[in-house]
Amino acid sequence: MNAAIPILTLGGLAAFFALLSIITASIVGPRRYNRAKLDAYECGIEPTPQPIGGGKFPVKYYLTAMLFIVFDIEIVFLYPWAVSFDQLGMFGFIEMVSFIVTLLAVYAYVWRRGGLEWD
Amino acid sequence: MTGLATVMLSVIDTGEQITFWICGSLALIGALGMVLSRKAVHSALWIAMTMINLACLYMAQGALFLGMVQIIVYTGAVMMLFLFVLMLVGVDSSDSVVETIRGQRLAAGLAGLAFALMLIAVISRVTLGDVGTQGADAVYGGNLQGLAALIFGKYLLAFEVTSALLITAAIGAMILAHRERIEPKKEQKDLSKERFLSGEHPGSLPPPGVYARHNAVDTPALLPDGTLAENSVPASLRARGAIRTVDRALGDEVQQLAAGDGSLEGEDLR
Amino acid sequence: MNGLIALVPIPTPNMDLGQIAPLEIVFGAALISVLVEAFVRREGRRRVQLVLVFASLIAAVAALVGLAGTRTLTAQASVAVDGPALFMQGTVLLLAIVGALLIAERSIDPAGDAFAPRASALPGGREERELTAAGWSQTEVWPLFLFCVGGMLLFPASNDLLTMFVALEVLSLPLYLLAGLARRRRLLSQEASLKYFLLGAFSSAFFLFGTAMLYGFAGTFSLGGIADALSGNAGDNGLVMLGVALLAVGLLFKVAAVPFHQWTPDVYQGAPTPITAFMATCVKVAAFGALLRVMYVALGGVRWDWQPMLWIIAIITMLVGVIVAIAQTDIKRMLAYSSIAHAGFILLGVIAVSEAGIASTMFYLAAYGFATLGAFAVVSLVRDSSGEATHLSQWAGLGKRSPVVAGIFTLFLLAFAGIPLTSGFTSKFAVFSAAIAGGATPVVIVAVFASVISAFFYARIIVLMFFAEPAEEGPRVVLPSAFTALALAIGVAVTVLLGVLPQPLLNLAQQAGIFLR
Repeated sequence: MNAAIPILTLGGLAAFFALLSIITASIVGPRRYNRAKLDAYECGIEPTPQPIGGGKFPVKYYLTAMLFIVFDIEIVFLYPWAVSFDQLGMFGFIEMVSFIVTLLAVYAYVWRRGGLEWD
Repeated sequence: MTGLATVMLSVIDTGEQITFWICGSLALIGALGMVLSRKAVHSALWIAMTMINLACLYMAQGALFLGMVQIIVYTGAVMMLFLFVLMLVGVDSSDSVVETIRGQRLAAGLAGLAFALMLIAVISRVTLGDVGTQGADAVYGGNLQGLAALIFGKYLLAFEVTSALLITAAIGAMILAHRERIEPKKEQKDLSKERFLSGEHPGSLPPPGVYARHNAVDTPALLPDGTLAENSVPASLRARGAIRTVDRALGDEVQQLAAGDGSLEGEDLR
Repeated sequence: MNGLIALVPIPTPNMDLGQIAPLEIVFGAALISVLVEAFVRREGRRRVQLVLVFASLIAAVAALVGLAGTRTLTAQASVAVDGPALFMQGTVLLLAIVGALLIAERSIDPAGDAFAPRASALPGGREERELTAAGWSQTEVWPLFLFCVGGMLLFPASNDLLTMFVALEVLSLPLYLLAGLARRRRLLSQEASLKYFLLGAFSSAFFLFGTAMLYGFAGTFSLGGIADALSGNAGDNGLVMLGVALLAVGLLFKVAAVPFHQWTPDVYQGAPTPITAFMATCVKVAAFGALLRVMYVALGGVRWDWQPMLWIIAIITMLVGVIVAIAQTDIKRMLAYSSIAHAGFILLGVIAVSEAGIASTMFYLAAYGFATLGAFAVVSLVRDSSGEATHLSQWAGLGKRSPVVAGIFTLFLLAFAGIPLTSGFTSKFAVFSAAIAGGATPVVIVAVFASVISAFFYARIIVLMFFAEPAEEGPRVVLPSAFTALALAIGVAVTVLLGVLPQPLLNLAQQAGIFLR
């Protein structure tokens, strides 16, 4: 618990600052609503109108995000292993290597099929 | 054992209680907001709040690592994936308002309420044994070490089998979202051939006009004969007719220049 | 915090790798299968995958036979190697081999196998047509299939709730994907996949919730530990009741018992037929294996609390299954409701709470599994130009056009109905007598009543096939390749054999029917 106090304090400070900025801006700032204010900013020119419904976006983004999560979770397991590496000894090392090698198989699959390319 | 438990229950510090009541209520509000808000993006933000508060609860109970994982994996990665997908796809709130089966919401609400009442009724008369992580943490010298002992000891098989889960997730993402190339990727050479064979303007388009007075993408460049180069302005602006007209006075000068009138030359260059 | 404490070495877990050999073989093959997807050229993949899948499944069966008679806990007591576990694993493996035969079939559909050439292509789009013409196929089906089988092997053998949950997810996740890969009627298939995924995730959450409750009560995930805690503390603890109920919801969802059956007809209809066949059989075996283990090993001490609940669920499952099945006009949906009804019949073995109950449940699962695989194999053969002809009206007069196929289907329907000399009769008889011995006579009366109703709609299809006039533009029966033919032959052989000569398997099930704690 003690270890969490600095982190929580920092988080609290950050949240406080964010809230403070938003509230201050809404109290102090002048309110002048016009069309230009609501427009998207596009390098100073009039923004290109968005297609209705937002249009289509490449589903590739989802693939990248999903693969990120998969390997993110792999790394979550690495942390307790690394912290207690000395206590686990050789067997722990073998376990983790086998886990990583297992996931390397799917990494190879993703790589060979071009899942990591963005084009 | 029960004596110890009652002692431990009574000495749960007030700090933890305060954390519980604040974070617990916020998590609940977030969950309700997730269900009740009409816009999908708002729902995602509400659930992010719930998850952060859950993480705080875990940390307050001494599971620091779990709290951090909750924030990093769920709030950080999963929720941001949700948010981005929702924003990019542009899910319309009207999609979810339509009830396909009549009375579905009412029935679901009633069932949910009944389930909640049952949970409250049952949990209110629960007796807990040993609570807290202190005892477990002490064995291997810390919370993380205890966790490692469980993951890499008792639940080793479950841990290794988890990799099957991750592999399935990755394959699933590939199957559902990836389009493998049918043809080999086009090289620069192929692209350049294609460009010339298409019969359209092969090179890069002319840049917009650059004038002493004015310089912007909506100002067309002038060709040597003084006419406007329409394709020097982005197509989206052209389609909207938002091309800024060139100052005609300047245009006249240019035409004079084009006609070979040298009288302006020295003056202009200075 | 830990600077002052000397580092205590974490003891090295001992794993007897030999005792979980079938699991290792299947998961190892699944990994190799992923590597095959990565490194083997597209043209050769199918062949390599087929060799790998069948070799590994047969090797796993061999390893399982080698383990026969073992009674031990392994992998830090997280896996039980005992009679029921080995029997269920054997059933899953044999059914999976037949299921793999159906999945491997690709001469029924003129375009190729039962799966979309590319799941990410727009249904009916240009890309899909081009890929179909070029003969592409989604060979990722095989690694997914193997992972699924691996999960199914672990699920009924898990001796703690955590391992069981991981196994549940490992078996479910590939199925969610496989359900959405049908070549024909893509949108229906994708809808089925999404529904299955959402509801399945929801039921997994219930399972997890129940696990947490039982952990809160017992302080352990181990089934034996929970049983000990229950025997030490007979007082009514809310955590136990809640845990049992929530855990049961998660498991009953997987066996498709009413009221957790809503997904079944849609998913069975939308999924590619070989996957439906695989799902309808192997998932049921694995899930009933886990249900039996949880209820008998961990929660045997509170059986008076959960037995009435399962009584009611068994009764409504049988009745809803058979009554709604009558109204169905689609053969796959009809089989789905029939499978719901059968889940109710199998629950009779569970509520018996006896060794005879375990043995009869296991026998029923094996008998039902082979008949179901065969029935879905027949469904995949009856086609018209747009794919499988699943509307019942299209099956009119099928017996006049192709008497052999209609005859085989009739055999499976008779087995479902529980007519003597088929496996269905023996298995129904076994669960009914076990349930009566277990004091569940009222439920058995309902079960007999439900059997009579079910016989009515099975007979209706038989009458439709043999005595109705064939439609003008009726579907035709495609001649399958050796894969489906072999699967059908196995289905027919097992169904007849278990009807005529059930004793060897019954004896085996009785010998195996004791859980290890």
